[in-house]
Amino acid sequence: MKEDIDVLTRRSFLRTSILGAALTWTIPVFLERTFLALNAQAADSSLQPMTGKDHPILVVLQLAGGNDGLNTLIPFEDDLYYKARPKIRIAKEEVLRLNNLIGFNPSLAPLKSLYDQGHLAVIQGVGYPNPNRSHFRSTDIWQTASDSKQVLTKGWIGRYFDNCCSGEDPTVGVALGEQLPEAFAAQKPTGVAIGRVDTLGFDREPDADEAHLFAELNGMETNSMSGDQIGSIPGSNHSGLSALEYLQRTALDAQVSTDHIKQILKGTKNEAQYPKNQLGNSLALISRLIAGGLPSRVYYASQGGYDTHAGQINTHKRLLGDLATALTAFCDDLKRKGIFDRVMVMTFSEFGRRVAENANGGTDHGTAAPMFICGGGVKPGLYGQQPTLSHLDAGDLIFNVDFRSVYATILSNWMKAPAAQILGREFPKLTFA
Amino acid sequence: MFSPLPADRWQFDSAAHLLVRAGFGGKPQEIEKLHSLGLARAVDSLVKVVPDQYPNPVWINPLEQEEVRLRIEAAILPEEKQAIRQVVNQQFQRDMRDLIHWWIVRMVNSPVPLVEKMTLFWHGHFATSGEKVKPAYKMWLQNETLRQNALGNFGQLAKAVSRDPAMMVWLDTIQSRKEHPNENFAREVMELFMLGEGHYTEQDIKEAARAFTGYRIDPVDQSFRFAPKQFDFTPKIFMGKTGPWNGDQVINIILSQPQCARFISGKIWKFFAYDDPEPKLLDALTVELLNARYELKPFLIRIFRSEEFYSDKARNSQVKSPVQFLAQTFRTLPVPVPDANVLEAFFRQMGQVPFFPPNIKGWDGGKNWINTATLTFRYKLSRQLVAGISPQEIGLPKRQMAAIEAIARRPTISRPLLVDQVASPQDRNEPGKLIDKLFVRVFQQAPQPDLTGKFNNLLSTREQPLTDDAIRDLIVLMMTTPNYQTC
Repeated sequence: MKEDIDVLTRRSFLRTSILGAALTWTIPVFLERTFLALNAQAADSSLQPMTGKDHPILVVLQLAGGNDGLNTLIPFEDDLYYKARPKIRIAKEEVLRLNNLIGFNPSLAPLKSLYDQGHLAVIQGVGYPNPNRSHFRSTDIWQTASDSKQVLTKGWIGRYFDNCCSGEDPTVGVALGEQLPEAFAAQKPTGVAIGRVDTLGFDREPDADEAHLFAELNGMETNSMSGDQIGSIPGSNHSGLSALEYLQRTALDAQVSTDHIKQILKGTKNEAQYPKNQLGNSLALISRLIAGGLPSRVYYASQGGYDTHAGQINTHKRLLGDLATALTAFCDDLKRKGIFDRVMVMTFSEFGRRVAENANGGTDHGTAAPMFICGGGVKPGLYGQQPTLSHLDAGDLIFNVDFRSVYATILSNWMKAPAAQILGREFPKLTFA
Repeated sequence: MFSPLPADRWQFDSAAHLLVRAGFGGKPQEIEKLHSLGLARAVDSLVKVVPDQYPNPVWINPLEQEEVRLRIEAAILPEEKQAIRQVVNQQFQRDMRDLIHWWIVRMVNSPVPLVEKMTLFWHGHFATSGEKVKPAYKMWLQNETLRQNALGNFGQLAKAVSRDPAMMVWLDTIQSRKEHPNENFAREVMELFMLGEGHYTEQDIKEAARAFTGYRIDPVDQSFRFAPKQFDFTPKIFMGKTGPWNGDQVINIILSQPQCARFISGKIWKFFAYDDPEPKLLDALTVELLNARYELKPFLIRIFRSEEFYSDKARNSQVKSPVQFLAQTFRTLPVPVPDANVLEAFFRQMGQVPFFPPNIKGWDGGKNWINTATLTFRYKLSRQLVAGISPQEIGLPKRQMAAIEAIARRPTISRPLLVDQVASPQDRNEPGKLIDKLFVRVFQQAPQPDLTGKFNNLLSTREQPLTDDAIRDLIVLMMTTPNYQTC
């Protein structure tokens, strides 16, 4: 019953509009563009946004908790490494060598293959000046691309949306999880969060009459596009849309985007075996949404558990193993779907960990750590320099690549966006993209 | 500009607007009662502070931190120490969830909701997070400090906050000593708490930082303690004034800047009335707060009596914060406050967990509360609150769910809305009358015929007398609208 109502509403909505009724502000801009496309085709074809077919896509993968960089990328020839970590060292012969000085944790074997195939860039010693060792604050800094002492309220991806994506479908940014990440916070809020796929979208109304009234009250009906259908409640605010107008528009966005996502999920499948865990599920879903043509530019997923203060060695190996298998499955899937060249994955963590292990067989909050970039369009190899262990800052590694250089490279060379404008100033770019 | 609302424009809707903005709304009879008082007495009734006799959380214990420290010290093996830390950490998570629940219940039941509303304002203003501040005792203590000063004097409040243990941990004053003054608090006291960006110099921050040295927390009972040995007694040149200033004196110098009154009065106006007050109005607000010598109560009285506060620009122009959304729902509709775990999960999904602001700037608020995910969640939540919370929705483990399903046909973990409390037996046979009553309750304003007509059309297809479910469905429909998200 609900499906019928939906189709009816949508159709009459489209027809009325195409037949010349004025398009008002309540119609999302992306729909306006869709109308033009539909006009050229047939009025009743399903919605097919114009964007999202060929432009590059970024997948941001947060390793939450502070990934231990030194046991991820191991300086296996450095005695200082073995001295600092008597209990949680990775033995030299176990290390998967990238060159004659450094190599991967053995759990990263699948990533080593990606590296060998030329799909992976490893950026060493990434951090920022005056590092903050609070999870909370350092995550803020990474999400907003701020200086250490600067508090920004908009995220770096949100600022990209503001600068480059106005008028796009709200699915321009998709976060896996219940909430949008701080990185998406924007002047004009956009982006959708996908928590559980089985509860996506608005609940069904108990019957058709109620479904009809719900659509009408939420501005999803043709005859209620004036924005003031619910009484004459004013509350306009001179900064653009009034609160009510903005709410109506968001309700419509939610309706259209979740319909679209559900439709894509019906028509796509995975072509690789993903590990059965949260990260695997997230990446499996992302690959289907990309393949299904969801007009998105940034996806955001996360893997938690990296705060390894105690008994680190096994936990950390398991986490890296999960990361590597999920990421490799994702790449295989995208390759088989023929869209690997359009996607770039970037991993980050709020900080690395201290050089010396602690008394509990773990490590405490530290500073610089490596980042991984993978995808079909990546220029592979090692970037930056492995921070030295002989010259530390109060027991912590000294960074040599500012994380905003990595952002700048991706924004400018991959997303074709004005990086300096988004990041507030110029940062030296790397050459991995 | 800023003149009192003429008596003939004090209407039912004005009283409803006042009750929602200065508190968390009210039941129809409460709005009617406030309306009958007339403007002046209505405002007086809201600012009259009476003790609310609300009990403290049971786990409040200033000595807890020291007790834990001693236990960890006494443990010999690293594993033992680690085990204690783990238990303490779990306790912290539980206490924080309980603290959130404790505060929401207080908002819902308070005889002086304005005090809670103002406490909420100050929490967003002096935004401090449990992410860094532990244990929960400190977060509770700060909440009490904000409450005690909520309608008092802003200068005194600022000084109390500078000596508040949670704030001292949050902005590192406890580590600040004369050899190494920490600038965190000094910077934020000017940038975010009292003046706003651009009204001080970097040198002012350095000088002020020296004045806030020597602030310590007593390790045993967690109270503020001044450590003269750590304090920098040498003269400071702060905002052009030279002297061996201490923290309170620095705050006094800031208070003497008219910009401070402008900054605070503008932010309070925005919270209660609307964004971006006109420059002339902001001038008037500044003068008002200065004349009141930063006493908040007379200042709030002027705001709540002013014409602008009741203008079209103000009414229904705000997006409800998640706290307002839930507190107002619980205050106006007979639905139970769910337990602490469920409540915290709700707040998390709506993007505002009390005691956990995203950063020192507090919550952005306004339209930022709403995106496709949070709006979808608010709609789902409305149905859950009215129909009863289903265990699937909050992800209860399968085993627990099975146990609930075994005893109930439609399993819920909280009871649904009590229909008899919002509809009399006669109402069930008179849909028009029922809709008007529910409209007032849900939307906190007099019925609007163009809208009530739509609900009437719907109910005309329903059998009478209306069943509980039909009435609950109607309330859900009212709540799942853009209008219910605004106030």
